[in-house]
Amino acid sequence: MGIVNYILPFIIFLLCVIILFSKKDYFSFFLRGAKNGLDGAIKLLPSMCALIIGVNMLLASGATEYLADWLAPLFDRIGVPEDIFPLIITRPLSFGASLATFTDIVTRCGVDSYAALCASIIMASTDTVFYVSCVYFSASEIKKTKYFMPVALFVMAVSVFLSCILARIFF
Amino acid sequence: MLGKCFSILCIVAFIFGAFNGSMESVSKSILEGADKSVTLCISLIGVMALWNGIMEILKESGIIKRVSRLLTPVMRLVFPSAFKSGIATEEITACISAGVLGVSNAVTPLAINAISKMERGKRKGVATNDMIMLCMLGCACFNIIPTTIIAIRQKMGATYTYEIIVPVWICSFACMVIGILLCRLMGKINGDS
Repeated sequence: MGIVNYILPFIIFLLCVIILFSKKDYFSFFLRGAKNGLDGAIKLLPSMCALIIGVNMLLASGATEYLADWLAPLFDRIGVPEDIFPLIITRPLSFGASLATFTDIVTRCGVDSYAALCASIIMASTDTVFYVSCVYFSASEIKKTKYFMPVALFVMAVSVFLSCILARIFF
Repeated sequence: MLGKCFSILCIVAFIFGAFNGSMESVSKSILEGADKSVTLCISLIGVMALWNGIMEILKESGIIKRVSRLLTPVMRLVFPSAFKSGIATEEITACISAGVLGVSNAVTPLAINAISKMERGKRKGVATNDMIMLCMLGCACFNIIPTTIIAIRQKMGATYTYEIIVPVWICSFACMVIGILLCRLMGKINGDS
């Protein structure tokens, strides 16, 4: 894990060298960029508020568990273990919720079990599709996203199946 | 799009809340959600300020320009119109590099930066093919070391920690390729950039 910890400090180190040894006033560029970032983050709040409220309501209502109970046996038949189904539902919605379901799977099935390994690969190779698209597009006030959602969800489904196949091959 | 997502989530939650008898926690979750969004936004402000600041220095010093020129042959296949017109190429390069290197907290600010740059002078409120591609890559990006999951597995005392890397590589790479191909195909079908 050593190298990973070096990436960010090294970038900062490099920039500090540039700031110190250059005639241009690079620090003022940094401040200008940081100010733009601040404006961008503020713009996110309205849509973020809506999305998080929606996701929170859904998770609190218990709908995800119902859905998981209904659909899991179906998925079990095509090679996706029943235990990871709640993860498939929470993964595109929220990182916090998916991490909680992931932890739940691991404690229930054991960290080196087939289900936990599938879940690990899914966690690592997919992202919170709804959250990401909400943040990316709403920052620049884009309302029509055309074919993005279907494609992103399809890729996510492919990733789930592939994860299960790979877990079977590798472990 | 967000309007539809929001409505569907809330309606489903309402129906299930009534049906399930969990309306109390649903009603509590609304205010909690509003609360959480502000906390999340505030924590994003710091990260966004940091990465936008770093980006500005990298841009002014010409480092990013060099990297993006180096990657142009590949990137032209993925982001055809951006790399033809030369708009936002540096921002896109920075965002993708951050994703591949696994600096996950940098991807969001850099992607927002790139998308708002691409949006200038375009039809307001409609995503272009390149924006959708960037968002797609934000969701399914190949990354060299999946740090988060390894850290979690280590903390939970797994025997297989680093062994997970190879299947994750295969899976995320395959998904990235499928995502890129699908986006290009849909872009072609949809026509206008």
